[in-house]
Amino acid sequence: MKLRTIKYFFRESFTSLIRNRWMSLASIGAVASALIILGSFLLLSVNFDYILKDVESQVEITAYLEDSVDEADITKLNNGIAAIEGVKEIKFISKEEAIEEFKEQVGREILEGIENPLPNSFRIKVNDPHEVAAIAEKIQRFAGIDEVKYGKGIVEKLFNIIHWVRIIGMVIMAVFAAVSIFIISNTIRLTVFARRREINIMKYIGATDWFVRWPFLIEGMVLGLIGSSLAIGILAVAYNYLYIAVKINIPMIALLPIEQFYDYALGFLGIGMLIGAFGSSFSIKRFLNV
Amino acid sequence: MLIEMYGVTKIYPGGQVALKDINLKISKGEFVFIVGPSGAGKSTLIKLIFREEVPTRGQIFFAGKNISRLKRREVPYLRRRIGIVFQDFRLLPEKTVYENVAFAMEVVEASYKDIKRKVPQTLERVGLLHKANARPSELSGGEQQRVALARALVNNPDILVADEPTGNLDPDTSWDIMNYLDDINKRGTTIIVATHARELVDSMKKRVIQLEKGSLVRDEERGVYGK
Repeated sequence: MKLRTIKYFFRESFTSLIRNRWMSLASIGAVASALIILGSFLLLSVNFDYILKDVESQVEITAYLEDSVDEADITKLNNGIAAIEGVKEIKFISKEEAIEEFKEQVGREILEGIENPLPNSFRIKVNDPHEVAAIAEKIQRFAGIDEVKYGKGIVEKLFNIIHWVRIIGMVIMAVFAAVSIFIISNTIRLTVFARRREINIMKYIGATDWFVRWPFLIEGMVLGLIGSSLAIGILAVAYNYLYIAVKINIPMIALLPIEQFYDYALGFLGIGMLIGAFGSSFSIKRFLNV
Repeated sequence: MLIEMYGVTKIYPGGQVALKDINLKISKGEFVFIVGPSGAGKSTLIKLIFREEVPTRGQIFFAGKNISRLKRREVPYLRRRIGIVFQDFRLLPEKTVYENVAFAMEVVEASYKDIKRKVPQTLERVGLLHKANARPSELSGGEQQRVALARALVNNPDILVADEPTGNLDPDTSWDIMNYLDDINKRGTTIIVATHARELVDSMKKRVIQLEKGSLVRDEERGVYGK
């Protein structure tokens, strides 16, 4: 493609954007609103994921030791469990540490004067939360291990919920992406329709399909780009407010840090451009058949 | 031979028979009128030449190449060898006269240098160089059609096809356009004109092909419009 032709494409698309400025604004508005909706769902789902991941990572196994296990055996057990594949971290909690912790939680006074009933234990973190059940079973087999707990049932339920939330989130996002493409292809159809005479003449003169298509594709992509930038701007401001509000009011929920939002922003620009390109190629197809 | 048609039949979806078994040859440099009443198939014949339509049966050759078998992406390159003029001019209203003609060269990716050289030259040929910066709306019908002529000519086509080029013009202006077409023909471009303009055809004494209800009923050198 000649440089001159590329210049021609850009000149044409920008002239058209300005000439049809009201339609262009309408298109940008449509892209922006579609992407704001899409983005809200994306952020919701990403944050849900993020929070769940946080919960997931907190899933740990507690292995209680029999009182008869002596210090040498504890070291052995420690090394044995640490060697199990998938174990990320193991921490020994002595009876004394356990009671201290318990006292912190329930209040010192209540436990005053009672003999420590708590056993020694290990707290084990695993790499993949899905392997918790299997690893727990392996730990159980070690001699000297009295009981293994890992919130059986709760973990499975949690994973089930996460699974469904992800599927529903993806379906909703796919629907909104389709709606966005539809809106944009409709608005660009107006631009194409307004220029159908020109397209018709170009085809009679001997323009190739791609020569006709490019300015509209660029126009669509520019509209998509401006629309998605607008959406990103609005979402960023809104998200920032939300982030701060949540941080102050519900500190136990950790939202996705605002910095990571910008990683998604780049993808968003790409999506906006793609939607614009798709929308315009849908609209122009019919007019190329001359 | 520039255009050859063998047993060309065109039936539109819906069953309307536009052309029946047309056999036709047009050599390079000819000036041909296609005449006949409305609905006789003149426009369809023209559309088959620049492949807006494909024949239902039969073969069409353009400069020896079978265009009924052309692939979609090859069509633009056929059209670059054909200048097309319509009854309704089909100029772009927001572009100037110069831009309208230059547009035809931009579309085929001509170089800037060539455009700057060829556009004024071609406008000169149709006597409109002085109106280069006017918009189509500021021109008379005849002038607009001359701009369309310039646009059709600017890429040096082998042939110029015109579908009712004087249909929207008064008799004097029609004469003017025909004289330009004759002049273009004398400089070597083959010309095919589909028309209703009886007097013009009669006085120009060119080859006349007459269509009736889709059939070719007369093909005469130096003919007249007919009864």
